[in-house]
Amino acid sequence: MPLLDVREVHKRFGHNEVLKGISLTVEQGEVVAILGPSGSGKSTLLRCINQLERIDAGDILFDGQSVCYRPGTTKHLPEAEIARVRSRIGMVFQRFNLFPHLTALGNVMEAPVQVLKRPRDQARETAVATLARVGLGARLNAYPAQLSGGQQQRVAIARALAMNPKLMLFDEATSALDPELVGEVLAVMRDLAAEGMTMLAVTHEMGFAREAAHRVVFMDEGVIQEEGSPERFFSDPATERARNFLRRVRQQ
Amino acid sequence: MTTPLFLAAVDWGYIGDHLVSRLVLEGVWMTLRLSLLGMFAGVALGTVFALMRLSRLAAVRWVAYFYIWFFRGTPLIVQIVFWFFARPQAWPSWAPWNGQMSPFVTGVVALAINEGAYMTEIMRAGIQSVDSGQTEAARSLGMKYSLAMRRIILPQAMRVVIPPTGNEFIAMLKNSSLVSVISVSELFLVAKLQYSSTLLYFEWLIIASIWYLVLTTVGSVFQAWLESRYNTNYGQAPQRSGLSRFLSFSGGKD
Repeated sequence: MPLLDVREVHKRFGHNEVLKGISLTVEQGEVVAILGPSGSGKSTLLRCINQLERIDAGDILFDGQSVCYRPGTTKHLPEAEIARVRSRIGMVFQRFNLFPHLTALGNVMEAPVQVLKRPRDQARETAVATLARVGLGARLNAYPAQLSGGQQQRVAIARALAMNPKLMLFDEATSALDPELVGEVLAVMRDLAAEGMTMLAVTHEMGFAREAAHRVVFMDEGVIQEEGSPERFFSDPATERARNFLRRVRQQ
Repeated sequence: MTTPLFLAAVDWGYIGDHLVSRLVLEGVWMTLRLSLLGMFAGVALGTVFALMRLSRLAAVRWVAYFYIWFFRGTPLIVQIVFWFFARPQAWPSWAPWNGQMSPFVTGVVALAINEGAYMTEIMRAGIQSVDSGQTEAARSLGMKYSLAMRRIILPQAMRVVIPPTGNEFIAMLKNSSLVSVISVSELFLVAKLQYSSTLLYFEWLIIASIWYLVLTTVGSVFQAWLESRYNTNYGQAPQRSGLSRFLSFSGGKD
């Protein structure tokens, strides 16, 4: 059974159909990179998996259970159930979205204490270790505004990891960073992949997709155009759209 | 130096003798209690109705709209008299507090409900000032709406909420004098009863004014302190404290 099973998902915003029947599976321990031009629906797909957007048709199964509907019905899951699913899926945003009124440590401790009801001491211990893991063991008491973009994004990754998620979603995690700060975030992502974390990453970093991903999914106009191993995708893309996309990316 | 002729009839010694008399201090204390209770309850009401105004359910939103429309659109003095006289007439069976609400309780209720309408708009603006990415991050961590609101959104909304709330409190200190119409012996009613019997209008109104100025000044200093506490910018460039800003009378935001 795959950890994540996306089945024929459709999503509309008004009259604009952003996802036109997406099917995708991610196995436990797999790292999947989603590539594609902007506006292709990549981010929307991630947001649907985390139920930040409601899908219009299809279904999404996480760990064998629908994240959209009550078992055997078309009724939406109640808020508490959705929250429980989200607590097991980590999400990293393009704009970091750290809590500015909390320190790095506070950001990472917040959900374990408030959502998982972990004792504070234990949560603090885990948070300190997690921040050390992303290379920020020395900045525990810094507020987000005192950190660089790369450091903020690493705190955001630690914040998600502290929940001990089974799946990590990365929504263009390096797109808002200055070029010289991209590397430190990618390094953390690579480490995670090497440690066996299941990851679904929307990214514009071809190097990361090529080296860290087990599989590449290429989306355009709300449809998965092709998917396959990074080696095959980058050396011999099957579709004209993918060839054009890669050509444009390489010119930059 | 002789007293100018136009103030010759004013008994300054009388003002000094009565400024801190027991009678006056009791009035001051009543004004302060009315304002503090009215304000706390008003902030609580404002928070609840602000969340209702931002609800996804149209019916809930409309309840909040109606509340604001009604209590912001009618004079406070009308509302005070209404709660005291018209409410028991229209709804005699509702009888908490042993059959009737004391003038004091009625006064607090009237002030709080009126204040809540203003606070609703202030709280709504505060909540909406917080970036929507904050809600998404909170929810992606498994927080429910109520938890995300309490732990993530409202604390950040405070920065926007505190300055206008300070203004509201200062207005409340003065508006509480309207409760005199249902014979709550707050500062103004004390002064009024005294000048009615002594005919020393000037002296008693000066006494009342001095105390209102003391209360509003203390209120302003407290507001400045609160602002400096919450307006730290979370570790960004250091700012002058709210208190020093107040003392230098620079006004406005730097």
